[in-house]
Amino acid sequence: MRLTPAVRALSLAAAFLAPTASPLRAQSDTWALTNARIQTVTKGVIDKGTILIRKGLIEAVGPAVTIPADARVMDLAGKTVSPSLIDLTSALGLAAPTTGGGGGGPGAATQQAQSGPRGLEPERDVARELKVPPADVKPIRDAGIGVVLVAPSRGLFRGMSALVPLRDSVAEADVIKPQVAMHIGYQGVSGDYPGTLLGVIAYQRQALYDAQRQGALLDRYRTAPRGIARPEHDPGIDALVPVVRGQKPAFIEASNENEIRRSVRLAKEFNLKATVVGATEGFLALDALAGRQAVVSVNYPQPTATTGWSYRLSQRRGLNDSAAATGEVQKRLEGNAAALNTAGVKFALASGGTRPSDFLGNVRKAIAAGLPAGVALEALTIRPAEFAGVDQILGSIEAGKIANLVVSNGDLLADSAKISAVFVDGIRYAVAPPPARPAGGGNAVVAAQVAGIWTMTLTSPQGPLEITMTLTQSGSTFSGSMASQMGTMEITGGEISGRIATWTTILQVGGQSITINYRGEVDNNRMTGSAELGNFGSGTFTAEKKP
Amino acid sequence: MKRLGFLALPLVTGVLAAQTPAAPAPAARDTSRQPVLSTPIPAAGTLVAVTNATIITATHGTIEKGTVLIRNGKIAAVGKDIAVPAGAQIIDGTGKYVMPGIIDAHSHSSGEAINEGSRSVTAQARMEDVLREDAIGLYRSLAGGVTTLNILHGSANTIGGQNATVKIRWGLPVDSLLFAGAPPGIKFALGENVRQTNIGNIPGRTPRYPRTRMGVEELLRESFTRAKEYQAEWKAYEDAKTLRRKGAKNADAEPIPPKRDLQLDALVEILEGKRLVHAHSYRSDEILMLLKVAKDFGFRIASLQHVLEGYKVADEIAAANTGASTFADNWAYKLEAFDAIPFNAALMAERGVKVSINSDSDERARRLYQEAAKAMKYGGASEEEAIRMITLNAAWQLGVDKLTGSIDIGKDADLAIFSGHPFAPASRVEMTLIDGRVFFDRNKAPTLEYLIELMKRRPRANTTSEGAQ
Repeated sequence: MRLTPAVRALSLAAAFLAPTASPLRAQSDTWALTNARIQTVTKGVIDKGTILIRKGLIEAVGPAVTIPADARVMDLAGKTVSPSLIDLTSALGLAAPTTGGGGGGPGAATQQAQSGPRGLEPERDVARELKVPPADVKPIRDAGIGVVLVAPSRGLFRGMSALVPLRDSVAEADVIKPQVAMHIGYQGVSGDYPGTLLGVIAYQRQALYDAQRQGALLDRYRTAPRGIARPEHDPGIDALVPVVRGQKPAFIEASNENEIRRSVRLAKEFNLKATVVGATEGFLALDALAGRQAVVSVNYPQPTATTGWSYRLSQRRGLNDSAAATGEVQKRLEGNAAALNTAGVKFALASGGTRPSDFLGNVRKAIAAGLPAGVALEALTIRPAEFAGVDQILGSIEAGKIANLVVSNGDLLADSAKISAVFVDGIRYAVAPPPARPAGGGNAVVAAQVAGIWTMTLTSPQGPLEITMTLTQSGSTFSGSMASQMGTMEITGGEISGRIATWTTILQVGGQSITINYRGEVDNNRMTGSAELGNFGSGTFTAEKKP
Repeated sequence: MKRLGFLALPLVTGVLAAQTPAAPAPAARDTSRQPVLSTPIPAAGTLVAVTNATIITATHGTIEKGTVLIRNGKIAAVGKDIAVPAGAQIIDGTGKYVMPGIIDAHSHSSGEAINEGSRSVTAQARMEDVLREDAIGLYRSLAGGVTTLNILHGSANTIGGQNATVKIRWGLPVDSLLFAGAPPGIKFALGENVRQTNIGNIPGRTPRYPRTRMGVEELLRESFTRAKEYQAEWKAYEDAKTLRRKGAKNADAEPIPPKRDLQLDALVEILEGKRLVHAHSYRSDEILMLLKVAKDFGFRIASLQHVLEGYKVADEIAAANTGASTFADNWAYKLEAFDAIPFNAALMAERGVKVSINSDSDERARRLYQEAAKAMKYGGASEEEAIRMITLNAAWQLGVDKLTGSIDIGKDADLAIFSGHPFAPASRVEMTLIDGRVFFDRNKAPTLEYLIELMKRRPRANTTSEGAQ
């Protein structure tokens, strides 16, 4: 058919405009990325080559790839293409954990008031509850991340994670892999058993024994059901059966040295296929991590928050040269991945809650501290793919794999690299350069305003407590007091970073002093968060500012 | 001298509170080249000799100008004329006193959690799971000559969690704390803490059972009745398995094992005498109640903790082969502690009870030797008896008296070396050895002068923790 010149002009214009108007597959899902430096991760570097993308997959990659007529050609001369990154530590699209309205003992009132997950739902399947707003996806994707593993971030048996592509709208149907791993942690539940670390570990141990037994009974019932009572169905225990069989990976969140040692003990006791997640003090527990695998967070703790007797003591103010000590600890924390690498621990790198805009910067700190850049890239691509059981389809640039790519000028992990586009499932998302910093180099993040009088409900293993909190703020620090039936406590160390407020109080009860560390997220006149009550477990709170 | 800065602060409170006279002028210390993050873990000597010291053995009197020879962490010889083999690491004990490492039978100095208070029976909880090696109270105790601690679950539950017996191997990873040969134990509690007398009703909260002393006894009996049923269930299963293995004609199909219950496992171990019970108690009536319950179910209480009215029922405690671990003179901090008398320890000992003096506090743990001395002042315990109250008797209560608690051949070389007699007010610990390894050495710790200088420069840190007594 011959087109009139006018029609031809129109259709040309449409073709030209389409990519910028909307990045839809409908337009054409075939891309040829030409003249690019290709960092395949698994097959070396191709200095100048082409990647052909069709229907969301990499159809071909190499120095000489024939470009089909229907492909949209993107000339990437001077750019580097890497696999997009995989972050195995995300809570994207999950509702914040419920604070529960009840608390106190195991009474019926408590049960009623508890709604939503408490961190004690092994059967929870994250894939079935995904609600991901595009606005939340974009900043993460702009950091070069194409896939995240979504799991609840608190609790002792948190449920099963989902591997999610960072497209603009993600639904259950888009999930790459549901039920990737069982996520385990060390937080108790509010106002019920298990409330403290003691109870949490005891509960985990009992539940895993229960699952072992359930597995044996199910097997037996499957082969010869006649004459024996059928096993009772318990969704939570049933979900743990593949975990104790070593079939379903257990992702155990453990950051400090003793948590890491605890999680490795648990893994050994039940022969779990375990991955330690967090491991920010892994360099202190290299002996425990030997031969195991870890998802290492680049969300470095503050030097003052590190554990271990020599660290704590070196942090004390007033000792000679505490600044040098702090700097030294910081260096060790940033050198964590390098130390694990030297020790031969197999690991992936992950955000661990780092702000997306800081993520690659923190990875670069690990590289500066001695982690080879090649290992870092593997730890952000093929290694997490392996840990999630998807290395056949993700984690490198190879024909047949999912077309998840990052386009940058220069090596993605080099200090000067800038990301210009991210492909997820073959869909191209342009990345705008970050806005210029305000003149004077000031911190662009404005601290939330918390000054005023707040009414707070704190729910802890000891029950609910009504608190009136009076705060005065000065820049990013605040002070004040918290009054309740337990008396009035003064707030110390109040700090605000963006929307996150942290502070400490010391409660005197019956000759004991309990240090309570609060962490809240401020949303205008509302605040929700958690409180760590030292030996008395942890709690959650909600607060509202009086008008 | 390298680690001067690190250890400075932990000692501030310890040294000052002990009211020690100014230390002898130390050699000049170079604090400027202290390496950041050094880990001064002492090497383990295979052959160590503490020579020319006054040795308080706790079992066979005091030896003047004696030697303790240590081989591979165990006491190889002790006495007056011990030949020291060539190559031994010599610790000159001239003018010093050596006593067995102090054992604190009641401590909460090393736990990231102390009490799982959501239930009144939590026998499944284990202190071993939550230990921490960096708690500063541990170091302060070590500086007070303490080598072994009974890390107990809190006293808020009728049947609390399992305790952990540890040695203060300060500087090593957390797993190194565990005292390998110690039998397992558990915490029980009676009275006000358990029935939550002093907490009161919190609106919106269902009070936890039990609320009375009657309820405490009922819960104990109910728990052990459950344990017996569980024990029987397992026995029936084992019997059925045996029958089947033997090919008996009337054997059923392969029996299904009962559900393993970690709480009941611990209670069955108590019934079978494999797990030692350490019971928080105050009043004489509730002590008698507990001894009766234990007798009815056929198990022994290894130690009564606090036991401030123990002097009223000392004969009954002795007859039950139960130890008593008490405070020297701590009293009246709540209603059930009003009938305490400082003569308690000596009176119970006089009636044949194996008595220990414990701390239940990071603070008192630093000076248990002074607490033990009070048993001589009040009630006239002998010197050796008072020494045993913080060594051998505590070891017996923890089931480790064959391994530590006195200076005898074959035992672990857990020693505290004092500048003078441990009961003399001006004496202080110079060195603490565990398994023959020096884990505390005052010569390498900071000087008092330096600490005072530090105190002037900065506000004092408050990091003491105490158990709920």
